[in-house]
Amino acid sequence: MSALMKVLHWLDANLEKWILILAYVTCATIVFVEVIRRFFFGLQEAWSTTVPAYMFLWLTWLGCSYAVRLRVHLRFAEIRNRFPRIVRYWLMQMDYLLYIVFGLVVIYWSADLLDLQMTNESLVPGTDDLPAWWFYLATPVGWSLLLFRVGQCAVQDFLDLRRGDPLRSDGSLRQ
Amino acid sequence: MSEDLMLILASFGAVALFALGTPIFLVMGMWVLCAHLALDYSLANIGNGMFEGLNSFALLAAPLFILTGDLIAGGGIARRITDFTLALLGWLRGGLGMASLTACGIFAAISGSNSATTATIGSIVYPTMRDQNYGKGFSAATSSAGGCVGIIIPPSILFIIYGYLNDVPVSELFLAGIVPGMMMVLAMMTACWFVSRRNNYGVLSPFLFSKVVRTTPGVGLAVAAVLLVLWGIYSGAFSPTEAASITVFYCLFAGLFLTRELKLSKLPDILFRSALIIGIVVPLVAVSIMMQQMFAVIGVSRFVADVLGGIGIYEVVLIVCMASVLIAGTLLESVPLTILLAPILAPVAVGVGADPFHFAVVFMVGGAIGFITPPFGLNLFVASTITGVPYLSIARAVLPYLVALITTWIIIAVFPGLTLSMVRLAGLGGGGLTME
Repeated sequence: MSALMKVLHWLDANLEKWILILAYVTCATIVFVEVIRRFFFGLQEAWSTTVPAYMFLWLTWLGCSYAVRLRVHLRFAEIRNRFPRIVRYWLMQMDYLLYIVFGLVVIYWSADLLDLQMTNESLVPGTDDLPAWWFYLATPVGWSLLLFRVGQCAVQDFLDLRRGDPLRSDGSLRQ
Repeated sequence: MSEDLMLILASFGAVALFALGTPIFLVMGMWVLCAHLALDYSLANIGNGMFEGLNSFALLAAPLFILTGDLIAGGGIARRITDFTLALLGWLRGGLGMASLTACGIFAAISGSNSATTATIGSIVYPTMRDQNYGKGFSAATSSAGGCVGIIIPPSILFIIYGYLNDVPVSELFLAGIVPGMMMVLAMMTACWFVSRRNNYGVLSPFLFSKVVRTTPGVGLAVAAVLLVLWGIYSGAFSPTEAASITVFYCLFAGLFLTRELKLSKLPDILFRSALIIGIVVPLVAVSIMMQQMFAVIGVSRFVADVLGGIGIYEVVLIVCMASVLIAGTLLESVPLTILLAPILAPVAVGVGADPFHFAVVFMVGGAIGFITPPFGLNLFVASTITGVPYLSIARAVLPYLVALITTWIIIAVFPGLTLSMVRLAGLGGGGLTME
């Protein structure tokens, strides 16, 4: 395997992963440290309730994107799983189309919101210099990644169908 | 095309997509999109809802309590809980089943999610239940049903969402859930005992006091976490979100240094897994909030409020609300159920004299029962995934538990004192504590 493929494979498995972990740890640590500081020393930073809430947005949309890749979003699968393979294939393609339609709407309008934040140079409440748009970026970026993941699934399904492999309908969170 | 026709078509389309297995949050998102187009509403609202609808410190408690669940499972504390309950109840007919239900109750007191409770306890006890000759379907059904108390016994992710949307303090909601949650566990244990006795399930092991003593320190780790959270919220020392962060670090400490089963190298994977659950649940919150807004715009909320408000009799309104929750719960996932129905039903119920906390608990117990009612019963799916038992046979075997839970639900609804006693005991109720 070429070096480029290795990099791509690593990115495929880890792109969202490490940002998610970083966001998660930051969220939990800020809240924890601040409640301890308040409890014992009566001190608390003004941004300790706003920054974690903003980080939570990154967590949500990147997690949502990777859940598409793993095919673990909640759905009612009982009927679909009983259909013949080719029908299932086309139903999955229909889902991808809907993802693209909805995703483009979300990206377009959340980019609009992002633009507003950048033009106004809004700050995260409680901070002196932290631009709010760093966090508003989460929705368009998360959804763009999500659409990329949708494309990946579509290609994977197409190859599975052509090779005669079983279609990957349900993923699992268990590791 | 007229507005109404477009909305009706969109609704039929959404139901069809759902039945055909399209991801639920996508189905709801598409409905919201169609409703915006039909009503000529600015789509900027959708971009906004995906951010501002979720921007809340109170909601942040959800990811933290989800992480707690994964940490106690990964740190071996969940297994210690089942060891203890088994030592305590293993000598009874159906003892293993009852022990798993009790373990679900204890696990629920640290974690805040139904499906996490089912997945964790289920994967620990299912193999043992099979060894002890419990039926396949019944073994899987036991953890499905047991998981239902996950969102009733505090902490609870759905109470957090309910409180966030309906302006009810989460701390009080947590306290109100304690007694009903314990009643649900007891009712399910009774059902388990009946079924096990009739089918001769289980291998009776003699009661050994030494075994109980030996497993007590392990469960003590879990109980300490429970007491820490309850004390913090009860005394007003910290908010639910802060309590959640404290439990996260406590479980991390206990897993790393006390049980020593949690390895630092495993931590990224645990965090990643929890993050994916956030990525599944929270988008549902976002689209559900937008859907609820559309309901208000269309006038669904006002219509229901007028019809129910017109009845005006407390008992009738409560029965109608409970029936709506039960029926909707068979199809809807709990997050959309709570976000769509609670803002419509709660004001009406409170308007005819229901206590806000009591109604919240009645609503949520109904929502919890929805986790095991087919066609869409999330805990049944989860149990089916982890045990490999077909969905439909679990759905059949869960029936005795369903009867027990619905009976308890009615008792909880009839006697508000059961939910309100803990709230009053804490001297709270109405503006005592707020979420932030």
